[in-house]
Amino acid sequence: MKLKVVLLLVVLALFLIAAAVFRLLITRSVDGELSLAFPADNILTYRLVPLIAALIVGSALGVSGMGLQVLLRNPLASPWILGLSSGAGLGVMATMFAEHTTGNSFFGGQTLGAIAGAVISLLLVFGLSRRRGGIDPMTMVLVGVVISVLCGAGIMIFQHLVPMGLRGSFTTWLMGSLPEVESWWRLGILGVIVLCGIALIAWWGPTLDAACLSDDEAKSVGVDLPKIRRRLFLTSSLLAAIGVILAGPIAFVGLIAPHGARLIMRGSHRSLAIATALVGALLLLGADDIRQLIDFGTGRLPIGIVTSVVGGLVFLVLLLRGRGKV
Amino acid sequence: MRLRLSDVGVRYGVRTAIHNINAGAEGGKVVAVLGPNASGKTTLLRTIAGLQHPTTGMVELDGARIDKLKPHDLASKIAWVPRVADVAGSFTIRKVVELGRYALGPSRQRVEDALSKVDLLSRSESLWHEASAGMRQRAAVARTLAQRTPGGVLVLDEPTSALDLRHLRTVSELLRQCASEGDIVIAAVHDISLVLDIADEVIVLKDGQLVLAGATKAVLTPSSLGDVFGVDLAWATDEAGNRHLVQP
Repeated sequence: MKLKVVLLLVVLALFLIAAAVFRLLITRSVDGELSLAFPADNILTYRLVPLIAALIVGSALGVSGMGLQVLLRNPLASPWILGLSSGAGLGVMATMFAEHTTGNSFFGGQTLGAIAGAVISLLLVFGLSRRRGGIDPMTMVLVGVVISVLCGAGIMIFQHLVPMGLRGSFTTWLMGSLPEVESWWRLGILGVIVLCGIALIAWWGPTLDAACLSDDEAKSVGVDLPKIRRRLFLTSSLLAAIGVILAGPIAFVGLIAPHGARLIMRGSHRSLAIATALVGALLLLGADDIRQLIDFGTGRLPIGIVTSVVGGLVFLVLLLRGRGKV
Repeated sequence: MRLRLSDVGVRYGVRTAIHNINAGAEGGKVVAVLGPNASGKTTLLRTIAGLQHPTTGMVELDGARIDKLKPHDLASKIAWVPRVADVAGSFTIRKVVELGRYALGPSRQRVEDALSKVDLLSRSESLWHEASAGMRQRAAVARTLAQRTPGGVLVLDEPTSALDLRHLRTVSELLRQCASEGDIVIAAVHDISLVLDIADEVIVLKDGQLVLAGATKAVLTPSSLGDVFGVDLAWATDEAGNRHLVQP
């Protein structure tokens, strides 16, 4: 790895640490006044849990998006655009509904539901976008939007079926929010899985570089395309599903983080995967910091609203700039 | 090195792109593939390069079936230049050329040499999506030069279609040089003058069928090509005494 790339990664990591420290220290008093103070022991956990969740979810969604962009050779691909987040959301909702109606907790419960939902959604998008043996990028984005809408309808059906008292918690979850209460072992396991996923994608970096060539050219230089696509397909789906399990359907981080990383550095996907993980984590942590600063007098905004507003504008810019310009 | 095509046919659904092609080529030769649009040239080249599995028949390289080669072995034996090279992502020209070494291990020297040979060394840090069609075509050729193992096979689909006169000359000389180092060079070319200049042998396709094959000067005549392309052709002689096929 070149020295310049290492230095850029270190700078990104320093920004991330600064955002994390800010998140730990920022305090809003009951009368709405902001101050910076180290939290008391009984509050520390409620700040550390969302902070760690933001690191896990942001990096997972970012690297998932990067994997999907290479997998589908489309700079607009992301877990949210391709319906993975909605699919995972539908999986979670279906599991929550089943657990509620039967009164039992299933093994793996929402985690397996989210993974199944994400994989099925991506399979559908992948399958329906094929034209003459290849993938048509525009069809794929449109199919992703349709799958996303259909999954959204499914989620609303489950929302409609549950008793009124539960609808509020379903709706809050759908807006996307970082958990303040979460078991450490669950955070630990999901964090380790995300780290492994990022490490794997970074390890495959040189193959991802070559897979950016057209299919014929990639095969000609020795890339086993079906193999790397299977790997990316599963790893990206898993990472997106973990993001949804922890924070609900958070939009745009998976799209913007890879582009942000590419704006900062041009290099192999090996270093880009690490940069994307850092940018993704920084984006989500930054969004969490921003929402601490906003007070409409109705409680803190769900983080999904902040990422949607910022992400939507950036997505529009990317669309207008055209394919391959970033 | 010997390449052999036995009864090679390719179908896309109900449409047959090429029918029962039988042909062969030896190391050290440049073979040009000619034919009207949609005659099956690209399909034939992709099949030879191992990128398209034949529906019938087989392509063998020194007795080994190309469609059975593992990706790494394929990359070490056969290099491919598409008609239009494409890269998704923000890569420099140098990075695209370096990708030619993906399966064979990095080699800074090979990449520098390849860039230099196609006159791209000074532009190697330009971004791919900002490069002209001609630069991209030269970069694709450079990637192939960085990848090729002397004594292997180079398959090129219209490798000079976007090049200016100077770079057309450069690339055609590079192809001859590769052949002189033992490569089998197979290229689809529309420029008949270029074919006469660099090709030892030609394969002429029409409607997916092989209609002419053999030594260039024996096969390319005004009457034979006139029949294939449906135009009137004649020989013209330049001041140096070289003969060219022209449309009168």
